[in-house]
Amino acid sequence: MKQLIAILEGIGGTLRLLVRAVAFAPTLPRQLPRFMEQCYQIGYTTLPIVSILSFFIGGVLALQAGYSMESFGAKEFIGSLVGLSMARELGPMMVAILLAGRVGSAIAAELASMKVYQEVDALVTMNIPPERILVLPRLAAVIVMMPVLTIIANLVGWFGGAIVAHSVDFIALEPEKYFETLRRFTKFEDVANGLIKAEVFGFVVVLICCSIGLNTRGGPREIGAAVTKAVVVSLILILVLDYFLTQSLL
Amino acid sequence: MTTTQNTARVGLFFLLGVALVWVAYATLSDGKALKSRGYNLVAGFDNLKELKQGDDVRMAGVKIGSVQETRLAGRRAEAVLRIDPTVKISSDALAMIGSAGLLGTNYIAIDLGSAGVPALAPGAEIRTTASADLNTIMTQLGELGGKLEGALGSMSEVLKGKDGQPGIFQRLDALLANNSAKVDATMTSLQQVTDKLNRGEGTLGKLINDPKLHDELLAAASDLKAATADARTIMTSAQGIVERVKSGQGSLGTLIYDEQAGKDLKAIAANLKDVSDKLAKGEGTLGKLINDDSLFREAQGTLRKADRALDGMGDSGPITAVGVVAGALF
Repeated sequence: MKQLIAILEGIGGTLRLLVRAVAFAPTLPRQLPRFMEQCYQIGYTTLPIVSILSFFIGGVLALQAGYSMESFGAKEFIGSLVGLSMARELGPMMVAILLAGRVGSAIAAELASMKVYQEVDALVTMNIPPERILVLPRLAAVIVMMPVLTIIANLVGWFGGAIVAHSVDFIALEPEKYFETLRRFTKFEDVANGLIKAEVFGFVVVLICCSIGLNTRGGPREIGAAVTKAVVVSLILILVLDYFLTQSLL
Repeated sequence: MTTTQNTARVGLFFLLGVALVWVAYATLSDGKALKSRGYNLVAGFDNLKELKQGDDVRMAGVKIGSVQETRLAGRRAEAVLRIDPTVKISSDALAMIGSAGLLGTNYIAIDLGSAGVPALAPGAEIRTTASADLNTIMTQLGELGGKLEGALGSMSEVLKGKDGQPGIFQRLDALLANNSAKVDATMTSLQQVTDKLNRGEGTLGKLINDPKLHDELLAAASDLKAATADARTIMTSAQGIVERVKSGQGSLGTLIYDEQAGKDLKAIAANLKDVSDKLAKGEGTLGKLINDDSLFREAQGTLRKADRALDGMGDSGPITAVGVVAGALF
Protein backbone atom coordinates (compact mmCIF):
# COMPACT_ATOMS: atom_id res chain seq x y z
CA MET A 1 0.00 0.00 0.00
CA LYS A 2 2.79 2.34 0.93
CA GLN A 3 4.61 1.42 -2.27
CA LEU A 4 1.47 1.91 -4.33
CA ILE A 5 1.07 5.38 -2.84
CA ALA A 6 4.74 6.05 -3.59
CA ILE A 7 4.25 4.99 -7.22
CA LEU A 8 1.15 7.16 -7.59
CA GLU A 9 3.03 10.01 -5.95
CA GLY A 10 5.84 9.52 -8.42
CA ILE A 11 3.44 9.59 -11.37
CA GLY A 12 1.68 12.67 -10.04
CA GLY A 13 4.95 14.47 -9.27
CA THR A 14 6.28 13.67 -12.75
CA LEU A 15 3.13 14.98 -14.42
CA ARG A 16 3.25 18.15 -12.32
CA LEU A 17 6.89 18.59 -13.27
CA LEU A 18 5.98 18.16 -16.94
CA VAL A 19 3.18 20.73 -16.74
CA ARG A 20 5.42 23.25 -15.01
CA ALA A 21 8.26 22.70 -17.44
CA VAL A 22 5.97 23.09 -20.46
CA ALA A 23 4.55 26.24 -18.88
CA PHE A 24 8.05 27.76 -19.04
CA ALA A 25 8.44 26.88 -22.73
CA PRO A 26 8.32 30.55 -23.83
CA THR A 27 11.48 31.17 -21.84
CA LEU A 28 13.44 28.68 -23.96
CA PRO A 29 14.92 31.20 -26.41
CA ARG A 30 16.51 33.01 -23.52
CA GLN A 31 18.11 29.78 -22.34
CA LEU A 32 19.71 28.93 -25.67
CA PRO A 33 23.21 28.28 -24.24
CA ARG A 34 21.76 25.91 -21.67
CA PHE A 35 19.69 24.22 -24.36
CA MET A 36 22.75 23.87 -26.57
CA GLU A 37 24.75 22.40 -23.71
CA GLN A 38 22.07 19.77 -23.18
CA CYS A 39 21.90 19.05 -26.91
CA TYR A 40 25.64 18.50 -26.88
CA GLN A 41 25.40 16.14 -23.93
CA ILE A 42 22.34 14.25 -25.07
CA GLY A 43 23.01 14.13 -28.79
CA TYR A 44 26.58 14.70 -29.81
CA THR A 45 28.33 12.75 -27.06
CA THR A 46 25.93 9.84 -27.40
CA LEU A 47 26.57 9.47 -31.12
CA PRO A 48 29.65 7.18 -31.00
CA ILE A 49 28.08 4.57 -28.77
CA VAL A 50 24.83 4.73 -30.74
CA SER A 51 26.74 4.19 -33.98
CA ILE A 52 28.79 1.28 -32.68
CA LEU A 53 25.80 -0.43 -31.15
CA SER A 54 23.59 0.07 -34.23
CA PHE A 55 26.27 -1.20 -36.58
CA PHE A 56 26.59 -4.43 -34.69
CA ILE A 57 22.87 -4.82 -34.15
CA GLY A 58 22.36 -4.52 -37.91
CA GLY A 59 25.19 -6.97 -38.48
CA VAL A 60 23.87 -9.51 -36.02
CA LEU A 61 20.38 -9.21 -37.50
CA ALA A 62 21.75 -9.89 -40.97
CA LEU A 63 23.78 -12.79 -39.66
CA GLN A 64 20.88 -14.40 -37.85
CA ALA A 65 18.47 -13.76 -40.70
CA GLY A 66 20.98 -15.13 -43.19
CA TYR A 67 21.49 -18.24 -41.08
CA SER A 68 17.71 -18.86 -40.83
CA MET A 69 16.67 -17.77 -44.30
CA GLU A 70 19.52 -19.38 -46.19
CA SER A 71 18.05 -22.81 -45.54
CA PHE A 72 14.88 -22.01 -47.47
CA GLY A 73 16.37 -19.77 -50.12
CA ALA A 74 15.03 -16.43 -48.94
CA LYS A 75 18.31 -14.75 -48.11
CA GLU A 76 17.68 -11.85 -50.48
CA PHE A 77 15.01 -10.76 -48.01
CA ILE A 78 17.64 -10.08 -45.37
CA GLY A 79 17.61 -6.47 -46.53
CA SER A 80 13.90 -6.13 -45.87
CA LEU A 81 14.19 -7.81 -42.48
CA VAL A 82 17.09 -5.67 -41.31
CA GLY A 83 15.55 -2.54 -42.80
CA LEU A 84 12.17 -2.99 -41.18
CA SER A 85 13.54 -4.22 -37.85
CA MET A 86 15.96 -1.35 -37.50
CA ALA A 87 13.52 1.33 -38.65
CA ARG A 88 10.48 0.20 -36.73
CA GLU A 89 11.89 -1.31 -33.59
CA LEU A 90 15.55 -1.74 -32.86
CA GLY A 91 16.76 1.72 -33.89
CA PRO A 92 14.48 3.73 -31.58
CA MET A 93 14.60 1.14 -28.83
CA MET A 94 18.36 0.86 -28.67
CA VAL A 95 18.79 4.63 -28.79
CA ALA A 96 16.29 5.00 -25.95
CA ILE A 97 18.02 2.36 -23.85
CA LEU A 98 21.40 3.95 -24.46
CA LEU A 99 19.89 7.30 -23.60
CA ALA A 100 18.53 5.91 -20.35
CA GLY A 101 21.86 4.38 -19.45
CA ARG A 102 24.14 7.16 -20.51
CA VAL A 103 22.13 10.39 -20.34
CA GLY A 104 19.32 9.46 -17.98
CA SER A 105 21.68 8.27 -15.30
CA ALA A 106 23.75 11.44 -15.65
CA ILE A 107 20.66 13.64 -15.36
CA ALA A 108 19.39 11.72 -12.33
CA ALA A 109 22.80 11.88 -10.66
CA GLU A 110 23.27 15.58 -11.38
CA LEU A 111 19.79 16.63 -10.24
CA ALA A 112 19.85 14.28 -7.23
CA SER A 113 23.16 15.72 -6.04
CA MET A 114 21.87 19.27 -6.60
CA LYS A 115 18.84 18.36 -4.57
CA VAL A 116 20.82 16.59 -1.86
CA TYR A 117 23.31 19.43 -1.63
CA GLN A 118 20.42 21.90 -1.53
CA GLU A 119 21.33 23.68 -4.73
CA VAL A 120 17.78 23.21 -5.89
CA ASP A 121 16.52 24.77 -2.69
CA ALA A 122 18.85 27.68 -3.30
CA LEU A 123 17.37 28.19 -6.76
CA VAL A 124 13.88 28.12 -5.34
CA THR A 125 14.94 30.65 -2.74
CA MET A 126 16.19 32.90 -5.54
CA ASN A 127 12.82 32.52 -7.22
CA ILE A 128 14.31 30.55 -10.06
CA PRO A 129 12.03 27.59 -10.72
CA PRO A 130 14.24 24.47 -11.14
CA GLU A 131 11.82 23.21 -13.84
CA ARG A 132 12.71 26.22 -15.98
CA ILE A 133 16.48 25.98 -15.99
CA LEU A 134 17.00 22.29 -15.15
CA VAL A 135 14.13 20.41 -16.80
CA LEU A 136 12.92 22.47 -19.77
CA PRO A 137 16.29 22.68 -21.63
CA ARG A 138 16.79 18.94 -21.23
CA LEU A 139 13.30 18.11 -22.52
CA ALA A 140 13.71 20.47 -25.46
CA ALA A 141 17.16 19.06 -26.21
CA VAL A 142 15.96 15.47 -26.18
CA ILE A 143 13.05 16.32 -28.49
CA VAL A 144 15.45 17.83 -30.98
CA MET A 145 18.19 15.22 -30.67
CA MET A 146 16.28 11.97 -30.56
CA PRO A 147 15.25 11.91 -34.25
CA VAL A 148 18.81 12.72 -35.25
CA LEU A 149 20.24 9.90 -33.14
CA THR A 150 17.59 7.50 -34.34
CA ILE A 151 17.99 8.15 -38.04
CA ILE A 152 21.75 7.76 -37.69
CA ALA A 153 21.21 4.53 -35.78
CA ASN A 154 18.92 3.28 -38.55
CA LEU A 155 21.28 4.09 -41.37
CA VAL A 156 24.35 2.74 -39.58
CA GLY A 157 22.42 -0.44 -38.74
CA TRP A 158 21.34 -0.87 -42.38
CA PHE A 159 24.90 -0.46 -43.60
CA GLY A 160 26.16 -2.80 -40.89
CA GLY A 161 23.69 -5.42 -42.10
CA ALA A 162 24.75 -4.88 -45.69
CA ILE A 163 28.44 -5.26 -44.87
CA VAL A 164 27.88 -8.41 -42.84
CA ALA A 165 25.52 -9.93 -45.44
CA HIS A 166 28.10 -9.27 -48.13
CA SER A 167 31.19 -10.40 -46.28
CA VAL A 168 29.96 -13.54 -44.52
CA ASP A 169 30.69 -16.54 -46.70
CA PHE A 170 27.50 -18.51 -46.35
CA ILE A 171 25.31 -15.45 -47.04
CA ALA A 172 27.38 -13.53 -49.61
CA LEU A 173 24.51 -11.25 -50.57
CA GLU A 174 25.26 -8.46 -53.00
CA PRO A 175 24.70 -5.01 -51.44
CA GLU A 176 22.60 -4.03 -54.48
CA LYS A 177 20.22 -6.90 -53.78
CA TYR A 178 20.22 -6.12 -50.07
CA PHE A 179 19.28 -2.49 -50.57
CA GLU A 180 16.83 -3.35 -53.36
CA THR A 181 14.75 -5.54 -51.02
CA LEU A 182 15.27 -3.07 -48.19
CA ARG A 183 13.87 -0.29 -50.34
CA ARG A 184 11.05 -2.44 -51.65
CA PHE A 185 9.75 -3.39 -48.23
CA THR A 186 10.78 -0.47 -46.05
CA LYS A 187 8.73 2.65 -46.54
CA PHE A 188 9.34 6.06 -45.06
CA GLU A 189 6.27 5.46 -42.91
CA ASP A 190 8.23 2.77 -41.11
CA VAL A 191 11.09 5.17 -40.46
CA ALA A 192 8.64 7.86 -39.35
CA ASN A 193 7.02 5.38 -36.97
CA GLY A 194 10.43 4.71 -35.48
CA LEU A 195 11.17 8.43 -35.12
CA ILE A 196 7.86 9.00 -33.31
CA LYS A 197 8.61 6.13 -30.96
CA ALA A 198 12.12 7.43 -30.32
CA GLU A 199 10.74 10.86 -29.58
CA VAL A 200 8.31 9.47 -27.00
CA PHE A 201 10.94 7.22 -25.43
CA GLY A 202 13.51 10.01 -25.14
CA PHE A 203 11.02 12.44 -23.75
CA VAL A 204 9.78 9.96 -21.14
CA VAL A 205 13.31 8.91 -20.14
CA VAL A 206 14.47 12.48 -19.59
CA LEU A 207 11.26 13.41 -17.79
CA ILE A 208 11.45 10.38 -15.46
CA CYS A 209 15.12 10.94 -14.73
CA CYS A 210 14.55 14.64 -13.99
CA SER A 211 11.60 13.81 -11.76
CA ILE A 212 13.43 11.12 -9.81
CA GLY A 213 16.53 13.30 -9.49
CA LEU A 214 14.59 16.31 -8.23
CA ASN A 215 12.60 14.22 -5.79
CA THR A 216 15.63 12.69 -4.11
CA ARG A 217 15.57 13.08 -0.34
CA GLY A 218 18.28 12.29 2.17
CA GLY A 219 22.04 12.17 1.93
CA PRO A 220 24.67 11.29 -0.69
CA ARG A 221 23.77 7.61 -0.53
CA GLU A 222 20.37 8.46 -1.97
CA ILE A 223 22.04 9.84 -5.09
CA GLY A 224 23.14 6.38 -6.17
CA ALA A 225 19.73 4.94 -5.31
CA ALA A 226 18.09 7.67 -7.34
CA VAL A 227 20.28 6.90 -10.37
CA THR A 228 19.52 3.19 -10.17
CA LYS A 229 15.83 3.88 -9.78
CA ALA A 230 15.82 6.33 -12.66
CA VAL A 231 17.50 3.89 -15.04
CA VAL A 232 15.34 0.92 -14.01
CA VAL A 233 12.08 2.87 -14.27
CA SER A 234 13.18 4.29 -17.62
CA LEU A 235 13.95 0.85 -19.04
CA ILE A 236 10.65 -0.58 -17.82
CA LEU A 237 8.73 2.35 -19.22
CA ILE A 238 10.55 2.11 -22.55
CA LEU A 239 9.54 -1.52 -22.98
CA VAL A 240 5.95 -1.05 -21.79
CA LEU A 241 5.47 2.05 -23.90
CA ASP A 242 7.06 0.29 -26.84
CA TYR A 243 4.36 -2.33 -26.86
CA PHE A 244 1.49 0.15 -26.73
CA LEU A 245 3.10 2.55 -29.18
CA THR A 246 3.77 -0.24 -31.66
CA GLN A 247 0.21 -1.39 -31.38
CA SER A 248 -1.20 2.08 -31.88
CA LEU A 249 1.15 2.94 -34.74
CA LEU A 250 0.61 -0.26 -36.74
CA MET B 1 36.24 23.16 -25.22
CA THR B 2 34.26 26.34 -25.46
CA THR B 3 30.53 26.70 -25.45
CA THR B 4 30.64 28.16 -28.97
CA GLN B 5 32.40 25.09 -30.28
CA ASN B 6 29.87 22.84 -28.62
CA THR B 7 27.04 24.86 -30.04
CA ALA B 8 28.56 24.57 -33.50
CA ARG B 9 28.90 20.83 -33.09
CA VAL B 10 25.31 20.52 -31.96
CA GLY B 11 24.20 22.60 -34.95
CA LEU B 12 26.22 20.45 -37.33
CA PHE B 13 24.93 17.32 -35.70
CA PHE B 14 21.35 18.48 -35.99
CA LEU B 15 21.77 19.44 -39.64
CA LEU B 16 23.31 16.03 -40.28
CA GLY B 17 20.26 14.42 -38.68
CA VAL B 18 17.87 16.49 -40.76
CA ALA B 19 19.80 15.67 -43.89
CA LEU B 20 19.70 11.97 -43.09
CA VAL B 21 15.96 12.07 -42.46
CA TRP B 22 15.55 13.75 -45.81
CA VAL B 23 17.76 11.17 -47.50
CA ALA B 24 15.78 8.34 -45.96
CA TYR B 25 12.54 9.94 -47.03
CA ALA B 26 13.69 10.57 -50.57
CA THR B 27 15.11 7.07 -50.91
CA LEU B 28 12.29 5.10 -49.39
CA SER B 29 9.41 7.08 -50.84
CA ASP B 30 11.07 7.55 -54.23
CA GLY B 31 10.81 11.28 -53.65
CA LYS B 32 7.09 10.95 -54.25
CA ALA B 33 6.02 14.10 -52.44
CA LEU B 34 8.94 16.10 -53.73
CA LYS B 35 8.19 15.55 -57.38
CA SER B 36 4.53 14.76 -57.67
CA ARG B 37 4.56 15.33 -61.39
CA GLY B 38 2.44 13.14 -63.57
CA TYR B 39 -1.23 12.46 -63.95
CA ASN B 40 -3.74 10.21 -62.26
CA LEU B 41 -5.72 7.32 -63.68
CA VAL B 42 -8.39 5.30 -61.93
CA ALA B 43 -8.44 1.51 -62.14
CA GLY B 44 -11.47 -0.31 -60.73
CA PHE B 45 -11.25 -3.93 -59.61
CA ASP B 46 -13.46 -6.42 -57.83
CA ASN B 47 -10.57 -7.18 -55.53
CA LEU B 48 -7.31 -5.33 -55.09
CA LYS B 49 -5.73 -8.35 -53.37
CA GLU B 50 -2.44 -7.30 -51.77
CA LEU B 51 -2.11 -4.08 -53.73
CA LYS B 52 -1.19 -1.15 -51.55
CA GLN B 53 -0.15 2.44 -51.77
CA GLY B 54 3.28 2.89 -53.30
CA ASP B 55 3.24 -0.31 -55.34
CA ASP B 56 4.60 -0.11 -58.87
CA VAL B 57 2.61 0.54 -62.02
CA ARG B 58 4.39 -1.16 -64.91
CA MET B 59 3.74 -1.05 -68.61
CA ALA B 60 5.18 -4.07 -70.40
CA GLY B 61 7.40 -4.58 -67.35
CA VAL B 62 8.77 -1.01 -67.23
CA LYS B 63 7.91 1.07 -64.20
CA ILE B 64 5.84 4.04 -65.28
CA GLY B 65 4.32 5.14 -61.99
CA SER B 66 2.98 4.02 -58.66
CA VAL B 67 -0.25 3.38 -56.83
CA GLN B 68 -1.13 6.64 -55.13
CA GLU B 69 -4.21 5.55 -53.29
CA THR B 70 -6.44 2.54 -52.79
CA ARG B 71 -10.06 3.05 -51.86
CA LEU B 72 -13.49 1.49 -51.86
CA ALA B 73 -15.92 3.01 -54.32
CA GLY B 74 -19.39 1.55 -53.96
CA ARG B 75 -19.35 -2.09 -54.91
CA ARG B 76 -15.78 -2.16 -56.13
CA ALA B 77 -12.25 -1.25 -55.13
CA GLU B 78 -10.38 1.48 -56.92
CA ALA B 79 -6.69 2.14 -57.23
CA VAL B 80 -5.57 5.65 -58.15
CA LEU B 81 -2.47 5.38 -60.30
CA ARG B 82 0.09 8.14 -60.57
CA ILE B 83 1.57 7.88 -64.05
CA ASP B 84 4.77 9.45 -65.34
CA PRO B 85 3.78 12.47 -67.50
CA THR B 86 5.97 11.32 -70.38
CA VAL B 87 4.05 8.05 -70.69
CA LYS B 88 0.89 8.02 -72.77
CA ILE B 89 -1.46 5.12 -72.25
CA SER B 90 -3.76 4.04 -75.08
CA SER B 91 -7.43 4.15 -74.21
CA ASP B 92 -7.79 0.45 -75.04
CA ALA B 93 -4.91 -0.61 -72.76
CA LEU B 94 -5.83 -3.20 -70.12
CA ALA B 95 -4.70 -3.04 -66.50
CA MET B 96 -4.45 -6.06 -64.25
CA ILE B 97 -2.95 -6.84 -60.86
CA GLY B 98 0.26 -8.79 -61.27
CA SER B 99 2.19 -10.59 -58.62
CA ALA B 100 5.94 -10.06 -58.39
CA GLY B 101 6.56 -12.95 -56.06
CA LEU B 102 5.01 -15.57 -53.87
CA LEU B 103 5.33 -13.32 -50.86
CA GLY B 104 2.55 -11.05 -52.02
CA THR B 105 4.24 -8.07 -53.64
CA ASN B 106 1.74 -6.94 -56.21
CA TYR B 107 1.88 -4.36 -58.94
CA ILE B 108 -0.42 -3.01 -61.61
CA ALA B 109 0.51 -4.36 -65.03
CA ILE B 110 -0.73 -2.33 -68.00
CA ASP B 111 -0.36 -3.65 -71.54
CA LEU B 112 0.72 -1.50 -74.45
CA GLY B 113 -2.70 -1.27 -76.06
CA SER B 114 -3.16 -0.59 -79.77
CA ALA B 115 -1.14 1.91 -81.72
CA GLY B 116 -2.97 4.92 -83.08
CA VAL B 117 -5.64 4.86 -80.38
CA PRO B 118 -6.07 8.17 -78.51
CA ALA B 119 -4.32 8.35 -75.15
CA LEU B 120 -6.17 8.33 -71.83
CA ALA B 121 -6.77 11.79 -70.40
CA PRO B 122 -5.71 12.59 -66.82
CA GLY B 123 -8.32 11.37 -64.34
CA ALA B 124 -9.80 8.91 -66.83
CA GLU B 125 -10.59 5.33 -65.97
CA ILE B 126 -8.48 2.60 -67.47
CA ARG B 127 -10.01 -0.71 -68.57
CA THR B 128 -9.19 -3.54 -66.21
CA THR B 129 -9.29 -7.29 -66.21
CA ALA B 130 -9.25 -9.66 -63.28
CA SER B 131 -6.29 -11.95 -62.90
CA ALA B 132 -6.35 -15.32 -61.21
CA ASP B 133 -4.86 -15.09 -57.79
CA LEU B 134 -3.17 -17.80 -55.82
CA ASN B 135 -6.21 -18.37 -53.61
CA THR B 136 -8.48 -19.03 -56.61
CA ILE B 137 -5.95 -21.41 -58.08
CA MET B 138 -5.64 -23.18 -54.75
CA THR B 139 -9.43 -23.48 -54.51
CA GLN B 140 -9.59 -24.95 -58.00
CA LEU B 141 -6.78 -27.33 -57.14
CA GLY B 142 -8.73 -28.40 -54.09
CA GLU B 143 -11.85 -29.09 -56.18
CA LEU B 144 -9.75 -31.03 -58.65
CA GLY B 145 -8.33 -33.05 -55.80
CA GLY B 146 -11.88 -33.87 -54.63
CA LYS B 147 -12.88 -35.05 -58.10
CA LEU B 148 -9.72 -37.11 -58.41
CA GLU B 149 -10.44 -38.68 -55.06
CA GLY B 150 -13.96 -39.58 -56.23
CA ALA B 151 -12.64 -41.10 -59.45
CA LEU B 152 -10.04 -43.10 -57.58
CA GLY B 153 -12.72 -44.24 -55.13
CA SER B 154 -14.91 -45.54 -57.99
CA MET B 155 -11.92 -47.29 -59.47
CA SER B 156 -11.10 -48.86 -56.16
CA GLU B 157 -14.75 -49.97 -55.83
CA VAL B 158 -14.48 -51.64 -59.22
CA LEU B 159 -11.27 -53.31 -58.21
CA LYS B 160 -12.23 -54.24 -54.68
CA GLY B 161 -15.97 -54.62 -55.04
CA LYS B 162 -18.77 -52.88 -53.17
CA ASP B 163 -21.85 -53.89 -51.14
CA GLY B 164 -20.88 -57.55 -51.10
CA GLN B 165 -20.33 -57.62 -54.86
CA PRO B 166 -16.95 -59.10 -55.71
CA GLY B 167 -14.37 -56.85 -57.36
CA ILE B 168 -12.79 -57.43 -60.72
CA PHE B 169 -9.76 -59.20 -59.29
CA GLN B 170 -11.93 -61.42 -57.10
CA ARG B 171 -14.01 -62.35 -60.13
CA LEU B 172 -10.91 -63.12 -62.15
CA ASP B 173 -9.62 -65.18 -59.27
CA ALA B 174 -12.89 -67.10 -59.00
CA LEU B 175 -12.93 -67.68 -62.77
CA LEU B 176 -9.43 -69.09 -62.66
CA ALA B 177 -10.18 -71.23 -59.61
CA ASN B 178 -13.37 -72.68 -61.15
CA ASN B 179 -11.77 -73.47 -64.46
CA SER B 180 -8.38 -74.54 -63.29
CA ALA B 181 -8.87 -78.15 -64.54
CA LYS B 182 -9.86 -76.94 -67.99
CA VAL B 183 -7.08 -74.45 -68.09
CA ASP B 184 -4.66 -77.18 -67.03
CA ALA B 185 -5.97 -79.52 -69.73
CA THR B 186 -5.70 -76.79 -72.34
CA MET B 187 -2.20 -76.02 -71.28
CA THR B 188 -1.26 -79.71 -71.38
CA SER B 189 -2.71 -80.11 -74.87
CA LEU B 190 -0.93 -77.00 -75.97
CA GLN B 191 2.27 -78.42 -74.53
CA GLN B 192 1.78 -81.67 -76.39
CA VAL B 193 1.07 -79.87 -79.63
CA THR B 194 4.20 -77.79 -79.30
CA ASP B 195 6.22 -80.89 -78.40
CA LYS B 196 4.97 -82.63 -81.53
CA LEU B 197 5.73 -79.59 -83.55
CA ASN B 198 9.24 -79.57 -82.11
CA ARG B 199 9.72 -83.24 -82.91
CA GLY B 200 8.61 -82.63 -86.49
CA GLU B 201 5.52 -84.82 -86.24
CA GLY B 202 2.40 -84.14 -88.26
CA THR B 203 2.02 -81.93 -91.31
CA LEU B 204 2.66 -78.69 -89.48
CA GLY B 205 5.64 -80.21 -87.67
CA LYS B 206 7.12 -81.47 -90.91
CA LEU B 207 6.41 -78.19 -92.53
CA ILE B 208 8.31 -76.47 -89.78
CA ASN B 209 11.13 -78.99 -89.30
CA ASP B 210 11.62 -80.82 -92.66
CA PRO B 211 13.83 -78.97 -95.16
CA LYS B 212 12.75 -81.34 -97.95
CA LEU B 213 9.19 -80.21 -97.68
CA HIS B 214 10.38 -76.71 -97.92
CA ASP B 215 12.28 -77.49 -101.11
CA GLU B 216 9.25 -79.22 -102.58
CA LEU B 217 7.11 -76.30 -101.73
CA LEU B 218 9.61 -74.07 -103.44
CA ALA B 219 9.59 -76.33 -106.51
CA ALA B 220 5.79 -76.36 -106.53
CA ALA B 221 5.81 -72.64 -106.35
CA SER B 222 8.22 -72.43 -109.32
CA ASP B 223 6.03 -74.89 -111.27
CA LEU B 224 3.08 -72.74 -110.50
CA LYS B 225 5.02 -69.79 -111.76
CA ALA B 226 5.84 -71.60 -115.03
CA ALA B 227 2.20 -72.65 -115.40
CA THR B 228 1.18 -69.09 -114.91
CA ALA B 229 3.64 -68.03 -117.61
CA ASP B 230 2.17 -70.64 -119.99
CA ALA B 231 -1.32 -69.55 -119.17
CA ARG B 232 -0.25 -66.03 -119.93
CA THR B 233 1.11 -67.16 -123.33
CA ILE B 234 -2.16 -68.99 -124.09
CA MET B 235 -4.12 -65.97 -123.12
CA THR B 236 -1.94 -63.84 -125.39
CA SER B 237 -2.55 -66.24 -128.28
CA ALA B 238 -6.27 -66.34 -127.55
CA GLN B 239 -6.25 -62.59 -127.47
CA GLY B 240 -4.56 -62.62 -130.91
CA ILE B 241 -7.22 -64.99 -132.25
CA VAL B 242 -10.00 -62.90 -130.84
CA GLU B 243 -8.43 -59.85 -132.42
CA ARG B 244 -8.21 -61.63 -135.78
CA VAL B 245 -11.85 -62.71 -135.42
CA LYS B 246 -12.78 -59.13 -134.53
CA SER B 247 -10.98 -57.84 -137.59
CA GLY B 248 -13.03 -60.30 -139.70
CA GLN B 249 -10.08 -62.48 -140.73
CA GLY B 250 -10.35 -66.29 -141.08
CA SER B 251 -13.49 -68.44 -141.36
CA LEU B 252 -14.84 -67.62 -137.96
CA GLY B 253 -14.26 -63.95 -138.51
CA THR B 254 -15.98 -64.12 -141.86
CA LEU B 255 -18.81 -66.09 -140.31
CA ILE B 256 -19.31 -63.58 -137.54
CA TYR B 257 -18.54 -60.30 -139.17
CA ASP B 258 -19.25 -60.88 -142.96
CA GLU B 259 -22.89 -59.99 -143.61
CA GLN B 260 -22.93 -61.82 -146.98
CA ALA B 261 -21.80 -65.08 -145.41
CA GLY B 262 -24.59 -64.65 -142.83
CA LYS B 263 -27.16 -64.24 -145.53
CA ASP B 264 -25.79 -67.31 -147.38
CA LEU B 265 -25.96 -69.31 -144.21
CA LYS B 266 -29.57 -68.23 -143.71
CA ALA B 267 -30.39 -69.29 -147.29
CA ILE B 268 -28.71 -72.70 -146.75
CA ALA B 269 -30.70 -73.14 -143.56
CA ALA B 270 -33.92 -72.23 -145.37
CA ASN B 271 -33.14 -74.72 -148.16
CA LEU B 272 -32.31 -77.43 -145.66
CA LYS B 273 -35.61 -76.75 -143.88
CA ASP B 274 -37.42 -76.98 -147.23
CA VAL B 275 -35.74 -80.34 -148.05
CA SER B 276 -36.47 -81.79 -144.62
CA ASP B 277 -40.10 -80.65 -144.86
CA LYS B 278 -40.45 -82.39 -148.20
CA LEU B 279 -38.79 -85.50 -146.82
CA ALA B 280 -41.21 -85.48 -143.88
CA LYS B 281 -44.17 -85.18 -146.21
CA GLY B 282 -42.91 -88.10 -148.29
CA GLU B 283 -42.42 -86.03 -151.39
CA GLY B 284 -39.82 -87.03 -153.93
CA THR B 285 -37.92 -90.33 -154.28
CA LEU B 286 -36.05 -90.03 -151.01
CA GLY B 287 -39.27 -88.99 -149.22
CA LYS B 288 -41.10 -91.94 -150.55
CA LEU B 289 -38.20 -94.21 -149.74
CA ILE B 290 -38.35 -92.98 -146.18
CA ASN B 291 -42.09 -92.67 -145.65
CA ASP B 292 -43.70 -95.26 -148.04
CA ASP B 293 -43.26 -98.82 -146.70
CA SER B 294 -44.82 -100.40 -149.80
CA LEU B 295 -41.45 -100.16 -151.47
CA PHE B 296 -39.99 -102.04 -148.57
CA ARG B 297 -42.69 -104.66 -148.79
CA GLU B 298 -42.20 -105.02 -152.49
CA ALA B 299 -38.51 -105.39 -152.04
CA GLN B 300 -39.16 -107.92 -149.31
CA GLY B 301 -41.49 -109.91 -151.62
CA THR B 302 -38.95 -109.75 -154.41
CA LEU B 303 -36.23 -110.97 -152.12
CA ARG B 304 -38.50 -113.81 -150.97
CA LYS B 305 -39.13 -114.79 -154.56
CA ALA B 306 -35.45 -114.66 -155.24
CA ASP B 307 -34.88 -116.85 -152.24
CA ARG B 308 -37.31 -119.45 -153.57
CA ALA B 309 -35.79 -119.33 -156.98
CA LEU B 310 -32.39 -119.91 -155.50
CA ASP B 311 -33.77 -122.89 -153.60
CA GLY B 312 -35.21 -124.35 -156.88
CA MET B 313 -31.93 -123.61 -158.59
CA GLY B 314 -30.19 -125.68 -156.09
CA ASP B 315 -32.35 -128.60 -157.23
CA SER B 316 -32.17 -128.09 -161.01
CA GLY B 317 -28.53 -127.28 -161.43
CA PRO B 318 -26.59 -124.28 -162.34
CA ILE B 319 -27.91 -123.89 -165.89
CA THR B 320 -31.42 -123.63 -164.87
CA ALA B 321 -30.37 -121.29 -162.10
CA VAL B 322 -29.65 -118.57 -164.66
CA GLY B 323 -32.95 -119.28 -166.35
CA VAL B 324 -34.74 -119.18 -163.06
CA VAL B 325 -33.09 -115.88 -162.06
CA ALA B 326 -33.89 -114.41 -165.41
CA GLY B 327 -37.45 -115.77 -165.22
CA ALA B 328 -37.87 -114.39 -161.71
CA LEU B 329 -36.42 -111.00 -162.54
CA PHE B 330 -38.09 -110.39 -165.90
